[in-house]
Amino acid sequence: MTLTSKTLAAIVVVVLFGGIFFSSAMGWWQTESTKEAAKITSGEFAGQANPADIRGSYTFGDVDKNFGIPPAVLAEAFGVKDSNLAAFTVKSLEGMYTGSAQEIGTASVRLFVAFYKGMSYDLSTDTYLPESAAVILRARNLSSEQSAYLAKHTVSNLGATPATSTPSAPQTAPQATQAPSAQSTPNVETPAASSTDRTVKGTTTFVDLLGWGVSQVTIEKVLGTSMPAAQVTKIKDYCTEKGLNFETIRPALQAKVDKVK
Amino acid sequence: MITLFGKRIRLFRPKSIWIRKVVQWAFFILVALIAVNHTLAESGASIPLLANASLHAVCPFGGVVTIYQFATVGTFVQKIHQSSFVLMIISFLLAILFGPVFCGWVCPLGTIQEWVSNFGRRLFRRRFNHFVPVKLDNVLRYLRYGVLAWVLYMTAVTGTLIFAEYDPYFALFNFWTSEVSVLGLVILGVTLGLSLFVERPWCKYACPYGAVLGITNLFRVFGIRRNEATCKADGACSIMCPMNIPVDSKTVVRDHQCISCLECTSEAVCPVAKTVQFSTRVALRGAK
Repeated sequence: MTLTSKTLAAIVVVVLFGGIFFSSAMGWWQTESTKEAAKITSGEFAGQANPADIRGSYTFGDVDKNFGIPPAVLAEAFGVKDSNLAAFTVKSLEGMYTGSAQEIGTASVRLFVAFYKGMSYDLSTDTYLPESAAVILRARNLSSEQSAYLAKHTVSNLGATPATSTPSAPQTAPQATQAPSAQSTPNVETPAASSTDRTVKGTTTFVDLLGWGVSQVTIEKVLGTSMPAAQVTKIKDYCTEKGLNFETIRPALQAKVDKVK
Repeated sequence: MITLFGKRIRLFRPKSIWIRKVVQWAFFILVALIAVNHTLAESGASIPLLANASLHAVCPFGGVVTIYQFATVGTFVQKIHQSSFVLMIISFLLAILFGPVFCGWVCPLGTIQEWVSNFGRRLFRRRFNHFVPVKLDNVLRYLRYGVLAWVLYMTAVTGTLIFAEYDPYFALFNFWTSEVSVLGLVILGVTLGLSLFVERPWCKYACPYGAVLGITNLFRVFGIRRNEATCKADGACSIMCPMNIPVDSKTVVRDHQCISCLECTSEAVCPVAKTVQFSTRVALRGAK
């Protein structure tokens, strides 16, 4: 059997497009990720979504769906100021942190999520986090190995260019889905936007306190209750929610902050 | 068509397979539009009725590099999607039947190299595509298997699409985005620059996907076959071959570099009818 060029051309086109059409009909033609992180197959965390599978195309909303970390927390961690946090793509971080000596990007989100969820992460590679993310993580239950890694892989003075037209504007929480376990954070401010003078006031968040060096144990001792899961929550709002008197709590916390100074 | 010394010779023959150029143009434009549409879609606008998939999603080599991870973990390498796997299977099917037709008829990087080579051919005439010493050329032709091994190993170890950093094909259709590395652009520039001197330099010496598909030349069903009985040994087929394969010294082209472009056949450059054909073994036997 001999083929001419015209026959071969027709076969190539028909087989290629026919194959694509057939695979579409069978539901095999997928040009986008399903945005469902692969599950860990063995070990302590078997069955849970794997942070290492977070893709650059994931939005903060996708990370929330997979790992139950609210977009507001991720935004707080990575200094993102966007009107729609849930739609903010992880890969956009690289563009934000172009001024950083160390890359802050998708791998940083993977690391953050793993540490935030208390899961293991490959510590043999160098992945860096901004100070704001480290502040949140220090308040979590990290192993000594993870704490040591975090200490060595935290970058300050990143020169990030937040993705917003009003950098100094307060960061509002997203309308998107939030994990049931996470606390609602109606009004959230970034550490930089809030009390930089180490004065506990109505806008101070738990992240601020942790950033000033007050340990989680100390804060909880003052509160008489556990800290919220979402550390970007304002202390005043949390006190109101828990029926605590903020005016009583505030000076006690201020004393702890001053003690750290 | 005249008969001279018992051989049927065509006086006016096409120099090139024009339908291949049409197919190449069509795929180049299609891939370019998809790449542009992907960028537009990310900014909230896109061309309706046109796919806006990422370039990785419509590249069959993505399927090849993810085989290991798919077999061991059951997932795809990051940025690679199921569509890459589908395209890989379709391309393999075509290659088993016809050899690397994907390279010769579809791949836009091959197409743009050919376009640049048209200028090189006019500039250097007979010297074009003969600058590299034969001995060195013969060794360099196997370099792409080294590239293939490195890409497969690194992708398996890192679980990331390591080749995207170096891939001139990705750079060609993403040069306007921040996703392209400087190295990728440099390799693209070097490839296009070399195309002025050598036909398809990337395909010959570095393309890992060409290396994979090239293996099918050893056993493809349809192949380039030369009928020794009617061949007048003018060497036209060898001169015309973009991959410098000495077609006139073979009865069946099993060279791993053949891209099934059909430029050497009696339909294009060979002046004797039914002498160099793209056929099965049975067809050639029948012609003798």
